[in-house]
Amino acid sequence: MIGQRLIPPRIVPLLTSLAAIIAAMLLGGIFLALRGKDPIAAYVMLFTRGLGTSYGLTETLIRMAPLLIVSAGLLISLRTGVWNIGIDGQLMVGALFAGVAAAAVAGQVANPVLWIVAAFAGMGGGALWALVPGILRVRWGLNEIITTLMMNYVALNVTSWLVKGPVKDPAVVPPQTVLIPREMRLPDIPGTGVHIGLFVGLAAVLLVTILFRHTVLGFMLDVVGRNSQAAVHAGMPVNRLTLIALLASGAFAGLAGANDILGVKGLFQGNWNPGYGFAAFALVYLARLKGLWLIPFAFFLSFLSIGGEMMARPLGIPTYFVEMLEGLMLLCFAVATWFERVRSPFARDEDVETGSASAGEPPGTALPEAAVERVAAAAGSRP
Amino acid sequence: MTAGANSQATRMTDHVRPTHDGPDASSLSPRGGLTTPRIERSPIVQMRDITKRFGPVLANDHISLDLWPGEVHAVLGENGAGKTTLMNVLAGMYQPDSGAIRIAGEKAPIASPAEALQRGIGTVYQHFTLVPNLSILENVALGANNGFILSLGDTEARLTAMLAEFGLDTSPHTEIRQLALGQRQRVEIIKVLMRGTRVLLLDEPTSVLTPGEVTSLLALLRRMRDQGVSVVLITHKLGEALAVSDRITILRAGRNVGELGPDVMSGTTRESVRRLVVEKMFGGSEPSHPAGDFRRASGELLLSLREISTRRDGGAPALKNLSLDIFRGEVFGIAGVDGNGQKELGEVIAGQRHVLSGEVLFGGRNLTNRGVSAASRAGIGYVTDDRLHEGSVAAASVAENVALKAIGRKPFSNGFWLNRHAMKEHAKTLIADFEVKTPGPATPIGMLSGGNIQKLLLARELALDPQLLICNKPTNGLDLRTAEFVVRTLREQADAGKVVVLISSELDELLEISDRIGVMYNGELVAVMPRAEADPETLGNLMLGGPAHARQAVS
Repeated sequence: MIGQRLIPPRIVPLLTSLAAIIAAMLLGGIFLALRGKDPIAAYVMLFTRGLGTSYGLTETLIRMAPLLIVSAGLLISLRTGVWNIGIDGQLMVGALFAGVAAAAVAGQVANPVLWIVAAFAGMGGGALWALVPGILRVRWGLNEIITTLMMNYVALNVTSWLVKGPVKDPAVVPPQTVLIPREMRLPDIPGTGVHIGLFVGLAAVLLVTILFRHTVLGFMLDVVGRNSQAAVHAGMPVNRLTLIALLASGAFAGLAGANDILGVKGLFQGNWNPGYGFAAFALVYLARLKGLWLIPFAFFLSFLSIGGEMMARPLGIPTYFVEMLEGLMLLCFAVATWFERVRSPFARDEDVETGSASAGEPPGTALPEAAVERVAAAAGSRP
Repeated sequence: MTAGANSQATRMTDHVRPTHDGPDASSLSPRGGLTTPRIERSPIVQMRDITKRFGPVLANDHISLDLWPGEVHAVLGENGAGKTTLMNVLAGMYQPDSGAIRIAGEKAPIASPAEALQRGIGTVYQHFTLVPNLSILENVALGANNGFILSLGDTEARLTAMLAEFGLDTSPHTEIRQLALGQRQRVEIIKVLMRGTRVLLLDEPTSVLTPGEVTSLLALLRRMRDQGVSVVLITHKLGEALAVSDRITILRAGRNVGELGPDVMSGTTRESVRRLVVEKMFGGSEPSHPAGDFRRASGELLLSLREISTRRDGGAPALKNLSLDIFRGEVFGIAGVDGNGQKELGEVIAGQRHVLSGEVLFGGRNLTNRGVSAASRAGIGYVTDDRLHEGSVAAASVAENVALKAIGRKPFSNGFWLNRHAMKEHAKTLIADFEVKTPGPATPIGMLSGGNIQKLLLARELALDPQLLICNKPTNGLDLRTAEFVVRTLREQADAGKVVVLISSELDELLEISDRIGVMYNGELVAVMPRAEADPETLGNLMLGGPAHARQAVS
């Protein structure tokens, strides 16, 4: 009872994530085989095209930037115990704001100033979109899972309307904002075809890591996420912290939107929705809510989606296959964490009896049973 | 006088005790004179030497208990006395470690709640199990129909009759959410009875009811008894038990410490039964410290509560116009059965619970509704009774947990950047000073034993050097040595000129270190007395809502 138990080596959570990925790929292989495709050939092509070609590698690194930014923000909210399902909507609004702001100042200011204006506009837009669910949650206790999810649909339609009317580029027919000239967009990292947004992504991850390791704010957010009753008992401003987490997560999503406008697209188009939100959930959980772990997993998921697209066409597999793989990973991850808690040699007696989350593992890093459903619901009904 | 009462108690229980043993127990049972001849002369349920252990806690220690058909049998005891565990064993929720259950004379292990129902044992829990947006009929039919196709017609006819009989003037198609709590409880009872229940277990059935609903529930229990049902009433409310029971079993610290049969119940006055029960529930031991050994509270006024009213989490009133003055240098003990507002009182002082009206004055400053951190900075510390869910973050390290309440202050941070080194060093000091058994400051606190967590929570508060420390059940679940250490530490705080508010249901502990003791009942401070005037019997009586001086009243 004294508690000199084995403490799981730090590697165990990582192994759990890897096991989930491998299991998901095996299951995915079965699906491929059922469709009459050779799974081994498909996976070989996935790796050779995704990683083996410079085009694949470049695209993978470009895709990493928004994923890193979005998941850094999602990490903040999930560690605070706040389920921000509205990443996609916040990203769209942020992207629209960034596109409009950048176009408004284009040609009048130096490029870095334009980028900063666009970045702040994006963050403002994302945070604004998270503010509504935030206030509903802290003032009236409305569940943020529902409200953030619903705000996605509002975002889709509001941005679509704005881009068809008030902020439309009058010079062109399709609904879109004014194009930012290529020379004003984010430059490439010298010697590569990857724009410097990747550094923004890495910086975002670093910032969040420092937040949780070294600051009072991060400490308090963690306490709220792990045990909000204890946070109340310790006199922490739980409502304010909850709001901060949601706003920060929305701001990061908006920044990711700005990143794609400035780095890749140059303008905001109606109905543009890259759907990073779902991938970010998979990413943050596979990284076990640990900041720095986001980087390798973001690389992997980016590679998966780029390589998947490149493999799917020649083999005649729907591009949805990659999204299915991501979904399978989350499912396998939920099962794997259960095994980690209950069946591993490190499991505690009580866990084995009750099969429930416990002290040994920070509650946040295990995927709660309901989590899979929530994420799946969010993904399935994504605008 | 106490000694006299004791020997009387012994005589009485000796008289009844033999009902437990031997095949001819029924002939020894002197229930004949009490009620009616319809009663069969053998117990319907016999529990023998039931033992149930949870880790280090012996919840049931060789408890034997007989239930007779057509009786209301109250099982009384403090929180943690083992009542609920014993009933869960009978209801098939827990398997006893040892001991046997016989039903109608046959050996009948009960492996699951479903099996208990099959054998005619039905349970109504404190927390209702009805589905709010299904109708009464659907709720009653839920689980009762084993077939694939739901046949409600037959059930509906029986249910309509039952509803009328139970005084529920409502259609079987009414949705549960439209019913008041008391009505829902009746539906729960009907639901259980409709499955052929002969033994009905009720766990604290009156805790959610209004006084009017309580009266009609008790009347209902009597009627069920008259129809031959054996009703088991688990409660810590003595008044209700006395009003309705034919037999009372008293549990204390996991043991059956006495049974009062119908002869005692009907043969003596209610007051003398009350006195017997109180003695058994709380122990009639003479105070271990001679009165007058304690300094009287004579320091300056530190905390003043003025007509505080507040609600509990569910919205029901928790404190009603409570006023209290506490002085430097004293341990102020608060006695009470769980749920009578003690926890809320502690939370109000600590700034953790909003008051609806009234004032909290501390050292001349008004702290009313100023929040936890204001109270903490003013010098108020609070050790909660819920050390796992409220006091600590199980997954966080020992170091993080002991810094939890002062994380924004030096040395743990400069307000923005954490100083993890200082947190760790602080934790090391506390671990050494309080002899906490832990692999180190980096270990998640949830991996420590309860006693060690408790030491750390106490150490955490003391390190902030509070002028006033509220402790809610600080020795709950601790081993003797740790408990003594905690109690001694608290006494030392007061001796150093600070104030300790000790909330506890352990009367021995309160009597040991308090200078004054207040008793809470139903959200009110029903009595405040100097230690010298307090004894277990007086306190126990007050805790159960009785008059302070039952003894005088009787004699």
